[in-house]
Formats: sequence, C-alpha cells, structure tokens
Amino acid sequence: MKISRAWLQNFFDAPLPSAEDLAHALTFHAFEIESIEGDILDVKITANRGHDCLSHRGIAKELSAILQLPLNAERDPLAKEPDLSKKTGTVAVSIESDLCLRYVACHMKNVKVGPSPEWLKSALESIGQRSINNVVDATNFVMFNTGQPLHAFDAGKLSLRGEQYAIRVRMAKDGEKMVALDGKDYSFTGRELLITDAHSDTPIGIAGVKGGAPCAVSEETTDIILESANFDGVSVRKTAQYLKLRSDASSRFEQVISPELAGYGMQEVVDLISALAGGEVQGFVDERNFTSHAMPIAIKIYDVNAALGTKIHVDDMEDIFERLDFKNVFTLEVGNTVTPPFQRLDVLIKEDLIEEVGRIYGYDKVPEVELPPMSSAPEVNANFYWQEKVREFLVERGFSEVYTPVFADKGDRVVLNKVDGVKPYLRSNLIDGLREALERNVRLKELLVTRQIRIFEIGTVWKNGGEEVEVEIAVEKVKGEPTEEELRAELRAFLSSIDPMPETYTNLPASLCERYQPFSKFPFIVRDIAMWIEDSDDARGAVLNIFAASSQGLLRHVNLFDQYKKDGKTSLAFRLVFQSYETTLTDEVVNGIMREIQRAIEEKGWQVR
Amino acid sequence: MQQRGHVHPISHLIREANRIFFDMGFSFAEGPLIESEWYNFDALNVPKDHPARDMQDTFFIKDEPGFVLRTHTSPVQVRYMEAQIKQGIQPPYRIIVPGRAFRNEATDMTHEAQFFQIEGLAVGEDISLAHLKGTLARFFRELFRGADVEIRFRPSFFPFTEPSVEVDMRLVGEAAPEKMRGKWIEMMGAGLVHPKVIRNAGLDPEKYRGFAFGMGLDRLAMLRWGIDDIRLMHSADLRFINQF
Repeated sequence: MKISRAWLQNFFDAPLPSAEDLAHALTFHAFEIESIEGDILDVKITANRGHDCLSHRGIAKELSAILQLPLNAERDPLAKEPDLSKKTGTVAVSIESDLCLRYVACHMKNVKVGPSPEWLKSALESIGQRSINNVVDATNFVMFNTGQPLHAFDAGKLSLRGEQYAIRVRMAKDGEKMVALDGKDYSFTGRELLITDAHSDTPIGIAGVKGGAPCAVSEETTDIILESANFDGVSVRKTAQYLKLRSDASSRFEQVISPELAGYGMQEVVDLISALAGGEVQGFVDERNFTSHAMPIAIKIYDVNAALGTKIHVDDMEDIFERLDFKNVFTLEVGNTVTPPFQRLDVLIKEDLIEEVGRIYGYDKVPEVELPPMSSAPEVNANFYWQEKVREFLVERGFSEVYTPVFADKGDRVVLNKVDGVKPYLRSNLIDGLREALERNVRLKELLVTRQIRIFEIGTVWKNGGEEVEVEIAVEKVKGEPTEEELRAELRAFLSSIDPMPETYTNLPASLCERYQPFSKFPFIVRDIAMWIEDSDDARGAVLNIFAASSQGLLRHVNLFDQYKKDGKTSLAFRLVFQSYETTLTDEVVNGIMREIQRAIEEKGWQVR
Repeated sequence: MQQRGHVHPISHLIREANRIFFDMGFSFAEGPLIESEWYNFDALNVPKDHPARDMQDTFFIKDEPGFVLRTHTSPVQVRYMEAQIKQGIQPPYRIIVPGRAFRNEATDMTHEAQFFQIEGLAVGEDISLAHLKGTLARFFRELFRGADVEIRFRPSFFPFTEPSVEVDMRLVGEAAPEKMRGKWIEMMGAGLVHPKVIRNAGLDPEKYRGFAFGMGLDRLAMLRWGIDDIRLMHSADLRFINQF
C-alpha cells in the first residue's frame, strides 16, 4: 500500500524521520518496503496484517511502537469510542444475510457537494488517487486513513415511502443486473451480496466491492446516505474475482476487518463531511450481526524468552505491549494476560504475542546459538545413499548428470490446470527426456570436447499408479566406444551391489567450479587445419599463440586431433571452433581468420597442408 | 578411458547441504511429489479459502480430487513427525528435506514451474529462534567455505510458522565470492513451527517447539556460482552442466 510520510505526520506531534529512516524501521520491525519515491513508501502489508495495516493509521501505530513516538490522541481516529447515539427513523436497514456483519448508515441533509480543499486533493493524489468531489473524497480519505471502506449514496435517487428510505442487504438473484460506478454493466449469479433499495427492490451497490451508478453522488446531490459496513472477506474476494472488479474497498474486506471499525469510520467520515460540505446529520442506524469480545491471551514471560532465545526483561516486554496498545494485566492465577486492540484480528495465541515482542524488540538482538548435540547420530537415508553411489559410479565413467522436465506429452497422470497448456502429463519414464537431451547435446559436440556424450538422470517417474525414483542413461553412438546397452548392463550390475542398509554416507567430492561462465547462444563454425612443423614445446606454443592472436576473440576451442612424424618433421591437425557472444558468425569472417592464421604460420617457415 | 563426468549443480548443493546438516544432527527425509491437499495445505495451517490454494498457483491432478503437485517441501514436516510417532520415537527431531516443488506459473529467467527446495525442521523441548539463526549461520559458513557470514531476520508471514521471518545473508571478508561480498541477499522464509502444525502432527505444542525453514536451491545455486538463468537447471545442456 502507498503510504505518504506527510500524511503519517498528521498522527504525530514530534517530527518524523526521513522516508528512508521510516522504511528502515518498517523493514526490520514490520513490513517489507517495495519502493520509496520521494515521500511515498510502497509498503508490502503481509496477509496477516490486512486487518489493521491497510491504512495510514495502522502504519502510524506501527511506527509509534517501533520508534517510541506517541500518537496524538486528538488526531488518532481510534483513540475515542465513536458516538452514534443520535438515532433516525428516516432510514431503515435490514440485513438478510450472514455475509453482512454490520451495517451503519447515516442520513445527512443539505450537504454542499463541490471541489475538495487543496490539502485533501493533494493527500489523495500523493497516493495515486483521483479527487472527485468533497463527499466522495471524504469517504476515500477515511478509508486510506483508518482502513474502513465507506460509501455515499445520493438519497435523492433512492425511493421514499412515507418519510423513510429503506436499505436491504441481500443475496443477488440469478440474472440480476446493475451498472456500477465504473460505468460497466454487471450481471449476477445469485452468489453475490448486494446492497439494494428495499422499496424498489433494485441493486444500488455490490457489497464491499463497488457502488452503483444510479445513486452516485454528483454536483446536484443535497441529501446523502452514508454506509459504513462490514462484509465477509471470502465472499467479497470471490465476488470481486468473479466480476473481475477489484477495488480498494474489496481488497480491504478480503483481508477481513473488524466490524468494530465500522463505527469509528462512520464517526470520522461524518465529522469530515460536516467540516467540508456542511449539512445536517439526521441520525444513525446501526444494524449489528455479530458479537464482539475482547480475547485475553495468557502468556508467561519465560515462554517469550525461551522461544526467541533472548533475555528480555519483563519491564521491556510490558513496555512493548503498551506501545502496541495491548492491555497487559498481571493476575496471580494465570500470570500475565494480554489483550490486543479490536483491530488486531491476527493476534489470537501466545505465539502471536511472542512474535509481537520479537519484532518490536528487534530480531537483530536474537543471538546465534548452535543446536545442542543429539544423543545419537542421524539416520542414513538409504535412498539418498543409493543415489549418491549411482551418481559417483556414472560420473567416474564420464557421464554428466542432467535434470529434464517432469512434464511430458504422454504419461499416466496428468495435470489439470497447466498454465501454458503444453506437456500437461507427468513423465512415466526418464528415457524419452534423456534421448531428446542427448540429441541436443550431440549437435553441440564440437563445443563439448568429449569423445562420446554420456548423460544420466536420477529422477521421479509416475507409472503403475505410483511414484518412484529411477536412474536412466543415454549414450551417443561412437565407433570404437562402448554402446549404451553395454554401459547399461554395467550399471545394472552395479545397482545390485549397492548396500541397501548403509551405516554411513560415502564422502564424495564437492564441485570444483568457482564461478559459472555464461556460454554463447549463437551458432558456432568449425574449421580444421593441418601443418608440418619442426616439433618442440616452443613451436607448439607458438602455433597456439598464432591461433589466439589471429582469432579476434572468437576461438572457443582448439582440439589437436591428429599428429604424426615423418622425415624429422611433425604433422599436427587441429580442429578450431569459432563462436561469438554477440552475433551469428559468417563464413567470410571465419575465412578471414583462417587466412590470417595460414599467413602467420607460413611466416614462421612452416607449411600448411 | 573416458575423462570424469559432471554432477549437476543442484545435486552438488544437496550433497554439501546433507554433509553440513548431518554433522548438526539432521537426517535426510523425503516425501511424495504428488501430495494430498491435507499435507500440502491443511496440516500446515493454510485454510481452505487461502488465496494460495487458488487454481492459478497450484497444479491439481486430473481425476484425483484432493491431490496436487506439492507447492513446497513443507508437507514432509508433518509426514515425518507422524511417522516417528508411529514408531514410538518422540522428539528431538531434526531433518532436512531437499527435493522438487512446483508452482503453476509461466517460466522466465528467474521463475520456473519446477524447482528445488530444501526444507529444514528441528523440533524439541527447547528450540528457539536463536537456534535457527545459529544453524543457518553455520550452514552458510560451511557452504561458502569459511567466508564470514552474517544472518539477519526480518518480520514476515507464513501460515505454518509463528513468529515468521525472512532470512537475509551477507558474506564479508576475503573468502567471499567477489560478486556477493558485502551484499545482503534474501535467502529464505523461516520461523518457529506454528503450534497448529505441531498439533496436526500429533505432538503437544505446550511441550514441543520447533523451527523450520524453506530455501530455494535453484536460487542458492544461482548465487553460489553466478548462474544467470534458472531455466538452465532443467536444460540438460552440457555447456552448463560440464562446468560443475
């Protein structure tokens, strides 16, 4: 969520540190920061804190606890219980589904809809929101300030019966339709929760997702009905997903917020609209479909330190709870009981409290401690032992180990929902993947500098209704070298010799590779060259130097593939592999290099054959 | 005589990880790749309506309702503990679980639908977050051959750990590979095992506590050797593998 430092400052008397310092405090005590742009932090609220932290107030509270800066109680919307005592008979609210936990409505008359003041416009714009008018902006501001989604209906566009408007929260009917505030037509299946005008029985909003266009607040609006409600998170998520209509409201309800918050949000938005647009509050309706109960959690100070591996003093722990507004009571019967504030729906068990202490205290103060020794040595895993034995046996024989994809174009088991749709089957053998891999590598043979390509895989296959780990090999056909069948027979013989109940692992070598060197993805060109020289180490060195110096950095491999002596002279035949990291090489370029090599060799008085 | 062949870098990492953790008392444990939703999600305190269980993130198996390609190596936590209890063996338990896991996503240079993880689990009467830090520090110190290793935790959230942390690592000093020297790198998610997971395995969370971590091996290999494309792991390309 986008959080503005200037906005946060409203909550504090003391000046806040820089955006970078705020980001640092949040990163190590609360949340990851996705980005900082000027004064705006993009805070990645974890899934367990959507209850209370998708708001500036939530983040301000975190910073208050972390940085030990008190919130200004006058400007903290949660500091004082809301007063919704003025009741009105001008609006009736009925809740017909348990997916609505609370619905607070307020009827206001004679508001002056108009442009928002500069501070409000710039606050909303700073976090990427568009200013619409003072009433709509007030509802948005309170949502981003306190976390309670709100909605304003134009009362003039609702049906009146007698002197009363009527709002009914009910499930949609199959095939029912509504144009939403985004101008799009939405049709419902019966699984969506709707806000309806009960007199006309027509939808005026998709609960927790989006308001309806017919009752939108405009410049002509004078009377409004404000909604501050609470809806079931899963239902809102499913509706938003199905309608492909995610909104700032739905993303908050999805995370589940406390129905208590609806009262605070209503109080705040009514105060703000009164200040910005005047009007007279007719009164409130508060339909509740929930029971609230503060849940004290028993915790022993010892447990906290035992879990964190720390030695935090009891006074420091109490101070942390206090900074988080958790009520901490010590009783003789159970020791400490700690009660989180209503919006902290994530704190339910003592482990949650341990996390609160740990993160506010600072995980940097958790020491590094090694585990105590075990009384007996760990078991040796026979399967892994087997795999390692096979691996070493094959690597000793020149095999390279590959992993091929488990997804295949045929097999016994199949994935239902593969995102790219290709190869949805789970392989029933290793050989198909290995054959393909072998073919690809044979085409690269000149780059691999090996007499015979031999590969193997140890991997899972799905066959005969089960899942098992197998080993398989694939071997290039090369004259004078063993065949795949011969090597497979050797492997089989070895497999039957492996100890099925090993007592210790064999110590096998680690990789000698320091740093991986990316290879060129462009095609290579091969040239052979043979020559007569007067043989000596110096002469051979000179030949290699000529290759390197003439090749413009394009020579990948040199392979001396033939040599013999005749009449005191030595014939050397080399295979040269050329390849660029930047481009596809042309014959002209390589021919030019070869001419240069020939010229340089002949200059030495040797003869190119 | 053919010259010596090459072990895949992931296998090299698993070999080294097993050696290092074995010395710290950890056994090598395994579990199936086609896994029940119970072990993959419910037993790990991931509720039915959790977004991670949506179709787009998880591979489901056709005509086998309730089964998925495991999305992490964590299901083996509960499987292992259950198996131990069945044999009458009480904690302490220490295991690592190196193996494949799957996410239903499009592949690019840093994302693969099939990847490798290593899970770690230590359960006992006195396990703490400090043990997690000490264990990981020793692992990285040995893996990076005596480089000076610093470990730091940041708060995070996973349904199966409480508290949950992100683990960053930094290598300092001469023994550190130059490209990694001095830089904090996000390595894994970890934490203390959630009491519901302990209970789901059949143990009393009032008596036993544990730590758990899950680290991507592809990413660790990429960092360790400077590999630039995760897709190389399953490429079977010997220009890649023969460097290890």
